[in-house]
Amino acid sequence: MSTSVKRIQAILIKDYKETSRNMAVSSMLFLPLILAAFYSRAGFDSIQGHFMGINFTFTMVCTYIQCCLIAEEKEKNTLRSLMLSPASTPEILIGKSSLTFLSTMIVIVGCMILTEYMPGNVAVMAIALILSAVFYLAVGTFLGLYAKSVMESSVIVLPVLGIFSLGPMAMAFVDSYPILKIVEWLPSTQIILLAEILEESFTLGDLVQPFAAIIGWIVVATIATIIAFNKRMVD
Amino acid sequence: METIIEVSHLKKDFQNESAIRDVSFKIEKGEIFGFLGPSGSGKTTTIKILTAQLLASGGKVRIFNEDAKALKQPASRSRFGILTDNSGLYTRLSVEENLLLYSKLYNLPESSVKEALTFVNLYEERKKRISVLSKGMIQRVTLARAILHKPELLFLDEPTSALDPVNTKHIYEGLRKLNEMGTTIFLTTHDMAEAEILCDRIAFLDAGEIRAIGTPSQLKRQFGDDSLTVELTDGRKEVIGKGAEDAKQMFEWMQNNLVDRVMTNEPSLGDIFVQVTGRKLL
Repeated sequence: MSTSVKRIQAILIKDYKETSRNMAVSSMLFLPLILAAFYSRAGFDSIQGHFMGINFTFTMVCTYIQCCLIAEEKEKNTLRSLMLSPASTPEILIGKSSLTFLSTMIVIVGCMILTEYMPGNVAVMAIALILSAVFYLAVGTFLGLYAKSVMESSVIVLPVLGIFSLGPMAMAFVDSYPILKIVEWLPSTQIILLAEILEESFTLGDLVQPFAAIIGWIVVATIATIIAFNKRMVD
Repeated sequence: METIIEVSHLKKDFQNESAIRDVSFKIEKGEIFGFLGPSGSGKTTTIKILTAQLLASGGKVRIFNEDAKALKQPASRSRFGILTDNSGLYTRLSVEENLLLYSKLYNLPESSVKEALTFVNLYEERKKRISVLSKGMIQRVTLARAILHKPELLFLDEPTSALDPVNTKHIYEGLRKLNEMGTTIFLTTHDMAEAEILCDRIAFLDAGEIRAIGTPSQLKRQFGDDSLTVELTDGRKEVIGKGAEDAKQMFEWMQNNLVDRVMTNEPSLGDIFVQVTGRKLL
């Protein structure tokens, strides 16, 4: 069965129209940009500082907005209507993720411009950012499928915001609390480690760990999301 | 005749409660089949199982000669349309934007939107957002979406429950037209008059079981008593049967110019429902 670009596009256009009329969700796009502008003016010129805004975009725009969009579809029973249409599971999931993905990428570029961050290797960083976005989208979709309402979705997404946005900061306390070494494996930490690698001369072997970790997170989150979606197809 | 829906010994349990106990019926191509019963009798559960939104606990369901699970396949979903009590419409979008989305999902030309909106008498309201529409208008938009792709099989769960008499009549005419074009209709309702107007066959569902099934006239014959009530000019009301003595009595009244009105005592579908279930339809 082939995936129809026309159907994906139809869902994307629908989401764009709906979200642009939903101030509660669309205003979220500005928060990471405000944070990035603040960091830039405050003079935080480190990789950690640049990625504060980027990781915040992943959780606040990518996961949070995606979670709200899916939860709203569920709450208003529109997701079931989509599921009863000829659109397949991949078409619905890709279509429902496209707007959030594009918004995330635009806001990340905005954050990078505001903090004047230029990665050591733009192509490698672009791939890492795209892969990270896929992971955060999957988490947002998964949480949205489990939330009973939009209100609940904005609560259950909070631990994700905390763990993935602020997790990398815990690396500063690893010497005192070795257990915190676990945060090294978060995708938000791995992308910072990758950015640091890209600032110096590197070999392909140096890229294996961060990419493998991010891809590992994607695989787990995507499988969980597909299982949750298929469960939601029946009562 | 081609069988479109075949249900045998269908059961559905929710935890310790049986929503559907042992339901069997067949629907032939081109029929309008009415599933009548009070709230909580299992009508919506049956529709959900038939459209693969709910798994049955037992029994067999075949749609288009395939297991109902086949309706989960995207290609099969174009073959049916559904209207439920949950509209599933995007409230921030206009009527037209909602239907345009579905016309693209079904790979239909944009003209299908105009056709469907004209069918439900809403074309003039197409630019209005769903959030400002009345319940009845939302019901009509949902119906327009269900028929947008001219499905072979249409599931309607209480289709006119929120409509005024004028729009109800308009929808009845439209459904008849759709049916004449070959659409098989599975309709659930607790409105006996609606069932009588629309349905070729009817099943009475009560507490998850079918109590009676047949055409309206078959059911009336089966549960009626064939008697007549005669109103006489002197104010008396007499009930007579079909026997020779009754005929003689009637002849005598007529000869004496005593007959004012003659009425059949044919039961309404509501009367039959009370007779077979022992309770009124609420």
